[in-house]
Amino acid sequence: MSSWLAEAAAVFAKDWRAELRTRFALNTLGLFAVTTLVVVSLALGPIGGSPNGPSVLSAVLWLILLFAATAGLPRLFVAEEETHTATALRLAATPSALFTGKLAYGLVLLLALEAITTPLYLAMVQLPVASPGLLVTVLAAGAVGLAAASTLVAVMVAQARARGTLFAVLLFPVLVPLLVMAVALTRQAVSGEPANVGLLPLVLYDASVIVAGLMLFPAMWNP
Amino acid sequence: MKTLLAWILWLWIALVIVGALWWAPPLPGFQAGPDSSRIVYFHVPMAWTSFVAFLAAGVFSALYLKRREPRRDAAATAAVQLGLAFGLLALVSGMIWAKIEWGEFWNFDPRQTTIVLALLFYTAYLVLRLAVADHETRRRLAAGYAVFGLVVAPFLFFVAPRVLGASLHPEPVINAERELKMDPAVLWVLLSGSAAFTALFFWMHSLQCRLAAIARRNGLEA
Amino acid sequence: MPAIEFHDLHRRFGRVRVLSGVSGGAGAGEVLLVTGANGSGKSTLLRCLAGLLAPDKGEVRMTVGGRVLEPAERRRAVGYLAPDLAFYEPLTTAENLAFFARLRGVDPGRGAALLDWVGLPHDRAAGALSSGMVQRLRWAWALLHWPDVLLLDEPLANLDPPGRKLVSQLLAEQLERGAAAVVANPAPIDLPGSVRRVELAG
Repeated sequence: MSSWLAEAAAVFAKDWRAELRTRFALNTLGLFAVTTLVVVSLALGPIGGSPNGPSVLSAVLWLILLFAATAGLPRLFVAEEETHTATALRLAATPSALFTGKLAYGLVLLLALEAITTPLYLAMVQLPVASPGLLVTVLAAGAVGLAAASTLVAVMVAQARARGTLFAVLLFPVLVPLLVMAVALTRQAVSGEPANVGLLPLVLYDASVIVAGLMLFPAMWNP
Repeated sequence: MKTLLAWILWLWIALVIVGALWWAPPLPGFQAGPDSSRIVYFHVPMAWTSFVAFLAAGVFSALYLKRREPRRDAAATAAVQLGLAFGLLALVSGMIWAKIEWGEFWNFDPRQTTIVLALLFYTAYLVLRLAVADHETRRRLAAGYAVFGLVVAPFLFFVAPRVLGASLHPEPVINAERELKMDPAVLWVLLSGSAAFTALFFWMHSLQCRLAAIARRNGLEA
Repeated sequence: MPAIEFHDLHRRFGRVRVLSGVSGGAGAGEVLLVTGANGSGKSTLLRCLAGLLAPDKGEVRMTVGGRVLEPAERRRAVGYLAPDLAFYEPLTTAENLAFFARLRGVDPGRGAALLDWVGLPHDRAAGALSSGMVQRLRWAWALLHWPDVLLLDEPLANLDPPGRKLVSQLLAEQLERGAAAVVANPAPIDLPGSVRRVELAG
């Protein structure tokens, strides 16, 4: 058990070390998110105070996060295949530990992204937040589900052609429940109006995807 | 034996068609064209069958991951292809009906959205298969995606519609048995129609699987 | 006694049948040398043995300590070396080996010791290595976990004469301690230990 955790930690540490030296993902993800944010905010304007504002803006925030994830997360595994380091990983790592390490890395990237993007976003569209605690919780829970689903889809896409578009095509259908719940709860956090759903289904979704990922990953990663 | 079963199926379908178009009454409460409501006798069974296909694809895929027999993967693919076909028909029939009854093809109804998402999922599965060159990798990844879809399906079909709110569909939609106030004739035709379409699905599925087996034997498969 | 055997392996890629029923094996201290023209399936065979590729038909059995290993265990147990095995370019040689040592649960000092053995600097980024140095790193990586079965695809590629002597010595030592080896190479090469040769037809 402890060796499993050590393996997952090793994968996480390796990815961060490589990342900090090249800064590739941080730059790409960060730039993508900020650019999208600026474009969207300029297109929408400061509609935070208007009646439809909270609904529209909650949805748009999650779309920005989703597109940033699509831009940045596939490389969790695509980079390994492209640099041919995947072979060494396949022969040395325990699959479930690898999945966990990669998931943790992707999650940290997403959380960092959310931490930077959300305040900027709220300021630009002038959206007041009724319950910040709920907002932070929804963003965190949503990030977990997004990272988990993306990690599993990334390993599939890394072994296929047309990776960029294929990732989005595969991810969106399975991610829709998460998006729907996250947007509804974000709207509640922002406007104070109760949504038709609580946090529990969202957490259940996260748990289901993580368990499914842990069970499916070995067969997706190795023949 | 197989021919006999096929004949029974065709007869049954013919009876369902007769029942739908003449014997059963049109649904109450639809002003725009009472007879147009008869589309429900086809719309509901096709939607139901599409979901059966979803389940079948997930189950066959899980079985394939357990033991890598090519025919299990072929069964999963066939289920997805048929699920896509039945789902498209369900969607189109629903949209035609919606246009007649409410004047719009698309109503942002949660059930409508759900079936579109199921169709997107089927299509994504088939696109994934096309994107992988190696046959062994293709089967494995597609199977994983189908099982993943099955895990997420309860959230897609039950939680998401609830979140999205009010529906044009009567509450419970797919499982008509709970709606006890329904006219028995309507119920009869709906249930036998669902059974007929499900049988039709499995029959077509077995044909697809036999075709795939022949292709494999002759080295013609992908 | 460790051993690896394979029976009737078949593998196709699309319509091309690359392996059409090949069998063989190597016991402790033995070397199976697989030669053949380009495209005859040598690398494919080694990948099947390593568990990187699933054969369409046939069986691979690796026995260690009297027990047959599951495919997942086999993958982690073999010492594999191939021309397309690559390392993390932003990381140094020492960091690369330390990472894989952590994954394998092996003492991290082992990586440093192996680097000295193959004559590589510890602090050079893997992306800055010459092809001969990368080949030495591959040898160090393959031996990190004292594998009982070695699967070596073109083990002498890119090496200068001292390098070739060095790795032959390494291989001889492994065979002496009881490892088995399957070596693939386009042309026959001089190998230590008791060598059997099989030629793959295209």
